[in-house]
Formats: sequence, structure tokens, C-alpha cells
Amino acid sequence: MVSEEEISEVAKLMKINLEDHSDHVKRVQKMLEYFDILDNANIESEEIIVQETDLGKLRDDKYIPYDKNLLKFLKSYQEKYVKAPKLN
Amino acid sequence: MTKIGLEIHCQLTKLESKLFCSCKADYRGFEPNTNICPVCMGIPGSLPLLNKSAVEKATLIAMALDCKTPNRIAFFRKNYFYPDLPKNFQITQLNAYGNTSIGWEGKISVENKEIKIRRIQLEEDPGRLIYEGATEKTELTLVDYNRAGTPLVEIVTEPDFETPHQVREFLNILSDLLENLNVSDPGLEGAMRADANVSIEGGSKVEIKNIGSFHDLEKAVHFEITRQQSLAERKIEIIQETRHWDDGRKITVSARTKEEEAEYRYHLEADIPWVRIDDNTKNQLQLHMPESISSKKERYVSKYGITSQVADILSSDRYFSELFEKANNETNAKDIANMITTDIMGLLDTREKREMSKLEGDHISDLVEYIKSNKITRASAKLALDEVIKNGKPLSQIIEDLDLGHVSDEATLSDIITEVLNEEAKAVEDAKQNPDIVNFLVGKVMQKTRGKADPELTLVLLKKNLGVK
Amino acid sequence: MDLGISALNYVNGIKNNEFTVEEFISESLEHINQVDKKLHAFLRINDFAIKNAREIDTKIKSNQNVGKCYGMPVSIKDNICIEGSKTTCASKVLENFISPYTSTVISKLNSEDAIIIGKTNLDEFAMGLSTEFSAYGPSRNPWNTDYVPGGSSGGSGVSVSANECIASLGSDTGGSIRNPASFCSVVGLKPTYGLVSRYGLVSYANSIEQIGPMAKTVEDSAFLLNIISGIDSNDNTTVDNKNQDYLTDIDAGINGKKIGIVTEMTNPDGLSTDVLDTTNDAIKTFEKLGANCEQVSLEMVRYAVAAYYTITSTEAGSNLARYDNIRYGYEFDSSGFEFNSYISQARSKFGPEVIRRMILGGFVPSAGHAGKYFSKALKVKSKLTAEIKHVFEKFDYLISPTVPIQPFKFGEKINDPVSLMMVDFNTVTANLTGIPAISVPYKITNGLPIGIQIMANHEEEHSLLQAAYALEKTVDLPEVPI
Repeated sequence: MVSEEEISEVAKLMKINLEDHSDHVKRVQKMLEYFDILDNANIESEEIIVQETDLGKLRDDKYIPYDKNLLKFLKSYQEKYVKAPKLN
Repeated sequence: MTKIGLEIHCQLTKLESKLFCSCKADYRGFEPNTNICPVCMGIPGSLPLLNKSAVEKATLIAMALDCKTPNRIAFFRKNYFYPDLPKNFQITQLNAYGNTSIGWEGKISVENKEIKIRRIQLEEDPGRLIYEGATEKTELTLVDYNRAGTPLVEIVTEPDFETPHQVREFLNILSDLLENLNVSDPGLEGAMRADANVSIEGGSKVEIKNIGSFHDLEKAVHFEITRQQSLAERKIEIIQETRHWDDGRKITVSARTKEEEAEYRYHLEADIPWVRIDDNTKNQLQLHMPESISSKKERYVSKYGITSQVADILSSDRYFSELFEKANNETNAKDIANMITTDIMGLLDTREKREMSKLEGDHISDLVEYIKSNKITRASAKLALDEVIKNGKPLSQIIEDLDLGHVSDEATLSDIITEVLNEEAKAVEDAKQNPDIVNFLVGKVMQKTRGKADPELTLVLLKKNLGVK
Repeated sequence: MDLGISALNYVNGIKNNEFTVEEFISESLEHINQVDKKLHAFLRINDFAIKNAREIDTKIKSNQNVGKCYGMPVSIKDNICIEGSKTTCASKVLENFISPYTSTVISKLNSEDAIIIGKTNLDEFAMGLSTEFSAYGPSRNPWNTDYVPGGSSGGSGVSVSANECIASLGSDTGGSIRNPASFCSVVGLKPTYGLVSRYGLVSYANSIEQIGPMAKTVEDSAFLLNIISGIDSNDNTTVDNKNQDYLTDIDAGINGKKIGIVTEMTNPDGLSTDVLDTTNDAIKTFEKLGANCEQVSLEMVRYAVAAYYTITSTEAGSNLARYDNIRYGYEFDSSGFEFNSYISQARSKFGPEVIRRMILGGFVPSAGHAGKYFSKALKVKSKLTAEIKHVFEKFDYLISPTVPIQPFKFGEKINDPVSLMMVDFNTVTANLTGIPAISVPYKITNGLPIGIQIMANHEEEHSLLQAAYALEKTVDLPEVPI
């Protein structure tokens, strides 16, 4: 069972202020219950299949300066620095 | 028993570009936030483009540390929120589905003790926080993202160290090794950082983070052992915690615990396919791997008969050993080695000086040859070196320009000696009683010739003139 | 002027001087102006469309080289970046985000002289299948505006269906192209994973999603795929399109081909009888075209939706972490805030569905649950991929209804997360396994469309489009009632 405490812990982890936990408790609970069918899939010994590439196909190590002033696209900056709230 | 383990972060500063984009790997010297692009800034829709050479150079490090290397490497996301992390996750490596990090299970010998390497991984450096004012408790955090995405290799050791001195020794060996591999310049500020974990007999493991330099690392480890021992003596429990190194006070202080932060939700980074590194590629890398420092040292001693002490100094420095390799032709190796270690190292003792220097191998071999055949004195050789470093002209040219050629012509030398004897009448008198005064007169002749006089011939002629033996 | 013509007919019309680009574009804009108040396919219209049209007309008149698209109006889902303009992902969190760069697909369209007519609506960050989760209000189904248009590329589906543009680009993470294609009666193609560059597509679940065309005909889909596919140095996951021309021999037919009817997809929970009847009808059509159809069971399909939601919520949790409103985002002053409290407050501007998936995305990969959900999901994905590989040794195509149900009314499913998940049942398999899949309009029943899904093996788009074309040629559907 999913508890409100768990939801509030996860919300904290994901950095989201939740006003009402109860709706989420029900929703997440329902979805997780549905996910439990994965237990029946009998896949424990399965190797995972992933996309692969060759080393030779990777980007060559070359310095190419970015041609725009990206800082100007950013929302909030002070002189040359990006502004962030203080850390505690 | 005291157990110390290390996590070393080493920037691959010898790369041109960042780990996942084409911005400059070495961010030093840029105006804040001018070495950034949509990829390293995590602009929505941008994708990481893995740097081929970063994989190769990191693999070289793994090989040099005797690690096992995988047939496929994979990247993972380590998720946490911090202002220096543009995507709020770091692309790093993990051995979650088999061994897919750059290397694992390596070893290195330190003071005849084997230190095991647990894992080596390739990852991106975050940006840098600049606090307004001196403390963290200011109203604002300012961020410079120039460093974000710089390629980092993390080397994790087993807790095999027993003393701070071993730690120090290991770090020296490691930084020489990284320099020798031409992957990093450990001398650059911030290019190498380390965290340590320390535990004493019967105590919990304590992590020390935020150590700015290797020098401080040794001190921090030393402090921490002493702190833990003093707790143990007073029967106070040593708790498992993370402590920060306070650079100002040179002590470790407890970091406020943020336990929930330890939930990193690692998962595969699908934007980077797993990279195959086949045996052929590994063999090629192995083939182009620079000779190890220890094998180089051994070769210098056995092949050239250079003293072990000189060979040690020479082999552990990539720049000077390369200079040595270029200059020597086997027969002159000993003299070349001596000249590099006694004269040249002092003249080129900083990175800036080395970068500016015009000195080539040929200059050194010529110089050794000139000294040997008495065409130039040792004193003049030093002046010539200064000049070569400045302008790189051929040695013969410099000797001519500065008029450093040896005065070994008997007639010329006799004239100068006569001059000196006239000027130093008292010394001449004294010399008849005290033969050591002759050396003073040799010095005077040297002064007059600005060091060019052949010292042996001068002595012979002086003695003859004074009638002493 | 007929705004409902196909891309190929548009190109012919321009070449034969039947109309100019400017005429077509201005009429399209007028049409959008009339119908979009009701349909809400678009979030924004390109202010430079007429100017662009004139430029292309000038090129045509002066016999300069003109790109293959000859100024045809194409709409773009608002999660694909275009330099200098807003890309909001239908989220308040990106209300003011202006992209500093252009995505690869847009660069390719631009170089072929397509005109980007506007950015289309979607479920916030492409999470949803009805556009009801757009922060800017839903789009409406042109076949009946009381019904959802499907999603998440709902705005794209509507814009093509309602003749507001010739074609559109959407993105498909679990059916987000095919679902609205089916609901709006247009052709929607999800290409092989990696065939189309994702550079400039705002990530939701990056391991499985693809950009793809939504168009009026199968030929138009092939036409667009020719333009947008291929290796991209800005996307390490792209695969070579081998310079294929997907239009060549598109009419080759499917005589003698073997088609597998995926058993699990033709009887899932909640399958509507109308959809089932239509599917059976389509099977008969395939047989009439000379194909051999037989049932085939894919055991892992039963678990696909659970695996899909586990993987997507995990990846979404990570992909959406960057929206902390520090570097870009919306206006929200940070003074007086501490970092964590600021970003937690800023991120609360995500809509309810995104927040739900974030919570789920924090849950399933966490240390305590990773083994329980996430690694199992990865293994289901892998086993399903192996199963698919195996069946394609025997079959050329797999078929199913695209969606088990017809379009539903607004608000009908929004409160039941599990029944909402089940709508994705037939489409997620192609995403989890990386294979191409297409939805072809097949029938209008109860005044609402039903599409048939055809799947093929990896990088078999050419063959897939031939089958889709053959099926399309057998149907004659009514005009959209707008």
C-alpha cells in the first residue's frame, strides 16, 4: 500500500509542492497495483537488449566554439553569471 | 587497523572538447558562461554527443591501472537537483547490468603495497557556484557553467591505504602516470580532486569531501585519523557521516546530513547507445600506450647506466623524459640526463616556462658535445641555455652571437694572464706562499673572459708564470 | 481552392500554376482563423508564413531551385524546437521558453521549402492521449467536437484532418501519433527508433520516442519520411536510412505477404465491438489483396502497458528535472527563496497529469522499488523485442486496431488512470521494441473514425508503407464535416 508519507517523500525528492496528497495516493496506488502484473511475466532470467554503436562512430574530439551568446537566451542572469536562489 | 579509500576525480584536460558537446574541455581562461552551448546547458531537446577520444583516454587510464575493461560501455543518469547541474542529473557510469564502466578491478603498487582499484568511470563535471560574498548564506547563488560537461574520470580505490603517507605517495604516482599518459595536466587548478573515506579499528566509515588539493588531502586524512583515535580513546562512538574539509581552519567538520539526497534514481541514459569496444580497438590502444614510468626508469638505468636517482626524476616527468629521449643518442645519454636534471629543470620549473621554451633535443645534445670537446665552458653553457630557451636559435649561432666561444688560444690567454698578474700584485706575492691563491687568480681570469677561458690551460699557464707547482 | 488536397497534389498544383504559394497559405490562414477557435489545433501561428510564401513564389517565378515541398503548409507539434520562437510543450512551465536552436527535422523541412504554418497543441509534455492535459485547453475532434481528438499529438491530428495544413509532424512515445491519427482519420506513422533525429524534440521518454509524419495519405507520409529521416550527427541514436525513396513502388501491393493478427491486441479489455468488427473487415480486405492472415500470439504484449508506464514515468522524472525555472521557464521571482523551496514552488506549475507521472517517476526507480518495477519493465521490453524479432522471421506484417476504442467524450476517462492506460494497449509495443507502425484510416462508424495499425520489422518502413498504401486504396471515406 502507498501511504501519504511515501507520496510526500517522493514529492520532496522530485521537488514538487503537493497541495493535496490524497488524490495522488489513490492514483499511484491504482497504477502500482496494475504494475504488479509484471510479477507474472516470468522474465527474471532475461538479458536486457540495448541499442549499440561502435566507438568509431562517435564524435571526433574537436573544439567548435558555440556561435551564439547563449547567456542572453537565459532567463535570469547577473552580469556574466546565471542567477539561482541561495542555498541553505 | 586504519583503512583509507579514495575517490579521485581527474579532468581529462588534454582533450579538445567536452564529454558531450564541442565546447572547450579546458574551460580555464574563459569569461564566465562563454564556454557553453545548448547541450552542456541542458536546453530542452538537446542531446549528448559522446566524445570518442574521451572514451579512448579513459580506457588508457584503466589499462595503465591494470583494470579489466568491458566490451561495451554504458552511461547512466544520476538524478539530483543542484544549481550547478543544468539537467539536474549527471551523466555517469554504473555497473548495474554487468560491468559496463570504463574499467574495474585494477591495481597499482605504492611503497611495495598493492592498492586495488575498484572501478573507473567516465562522467561529466558540473558547473561552478560563485557565492556572492564569502559565505553560503548569502541571498543569491551565481553560477558559471563553463565547466559543465568537462570530461572527468573517477577512480575509486578499495580501502587499502593504511597511512596518510601512502595516500600522498599514491597521489604522486597517479598524477605522474596521468601526465605520462598525456590525458591530463594534474598541475592545473581543480584538474584533480579527491574525496576520502577513513575508518579506524572498530569505528564506522567517515567520508571526507570538498578537499581542494592533494596536499590538503594528506592533511585531511591525517586530521581525521587523529580525530577518530581521540574519540576512540575517550570511548566516544565514531558515527558514520560525511565531513567537509575546512580549508581555512585545516580541520574536518560534519556536513549536515541530507539523507534523502542519497536517492539518485540511477537509470540508463538512452541518448547514448552502448559503445562497443572490441579487442582490436583495445589492442590498438595498448599499442599506442606510452611506456609506463617504471619501465622507463628501468630502461634508463639498465640501458644507459644512468643512476637510479636521476632516472627516477627523469622518468616521472613526461616533459623532461620526452626531451631526454629526443636529445640522447645512447653514447651521450648520461651527460644529457645530468644536464636536464641539474641545469634545465631549474630553468623550466613552471608550466608557463615550458610552454614558452624554444629548447629542442638537438640543442642539448650539441651543448653536451661542445662541453665535452672543450669548445665551451660549463659556465658559458648556462648562459647559452638561457638564450636557447628564449629564442631557439642553433647553438653555434648563439655562441657566436654572445661570443661564448672558448678562449683556448695560448697567446690570447697569456696576454690576459699578464694583465691579471699586474693588477693583482698582492695575490701574486701571496701565491708564492699559499698555492691555493692560484685558484683565486684563475677566477679573475675567468671574470675577465666572462667564463670563456679554458680553465685547465689557464691553470697551467698561471702556474708557469708564477713559478709554482 | 481545395485545402484538403494531398501533399503530392499540392506540389502538382504549384508546378502547374493552378495556385501560388501565397494564395494557398493565405487561404489556409483564413481557414484556420475560422475553424480553430472551435478546434484549437494550434497554440501559435507563424507570423512570417505569408512572407515565407512570397519568398518561395519569387524563387519559383525566377526559376531558382525550389525545395520539394514548394511552400506547403506544415504544422509542428509544440514540443519540437524552432530557433527564436516559443516551444511550450503545452506547459505553463515553458510558457516563455524561446529555443536558441532549430531541431534537425525543422532544418530539413526548411531546406525543402516547407512553410511552418504554426505550432500545434498536445497533452502537456506529450503525456496523455486526448489533449485534455494541455495547459492551454484541449483540441477538439473535427468529426464531432464533443469528442477528444486523441493525443498526445492531438493538435497535429486535428490540423491535418480539418485541412488547416497539408501535413504535420508529431511525436510518438506510446501511440501519440497513431492514436490521434486513428481518432481524426489521418495517416500517422511512428518510424523505427532512430530513423528520424530527435535533436530538438523535447524529451519525455527518450529511449522509445520518435518524431513522425501525420498526413492525409500514405504517399504523403512516405514523401515526408523521405525528407526527415536519416543519420544525424546531432543524435547518437540515429540509424542510416540508406537513401531509400519510400515512394518508389509504394503501389507494389501485398500479394503473397504474410500478416500476423496479434491475438492479444484484438481482444484486450474494453475493446469496442465496432472496433472489433472493423478490424475483422480489414482482415478480409487484406486477404482479398492476396495476403495470408493468421493469428499470432505475443505473450509479452499483456505486460507491455505496465512496462511502458514504468519506463516512461522513470525517464520523464529525469527528463523533466531540468525544469527548475532557473535557466529558462516562466516569470516567477526567486528573491527571498531558498533553492529547494524555490524550485519546488516553480515546479508546482506542472499540470496534474505531469505531476502524477513525476510522482510515479520518483517511485518506481527508487532504491526500494527499482527491482520490483523498473528492472522488470526493462526485461519485459527486452523479451518483447526478442518475441517480435522471432515473429518477423515468419511474418511480413503484424496488424491490430490502432486503438481498442473510438474517440471518447471530454472528461469521460480523465479520472480513471487504469482505463486511460488501457487505451495505449495496442500502440506501446511498437515503441518498446523500436519497430515502425502506422495507423491507416479505415472506417467512419457512429460518425467517428477507426484506424487500423500495421507494424513491420525494424527499418522496414518501405514495405510497411506498401501495405498501408494497399489498404488505403480499398477505402473511400466521407469528407470531414467542417
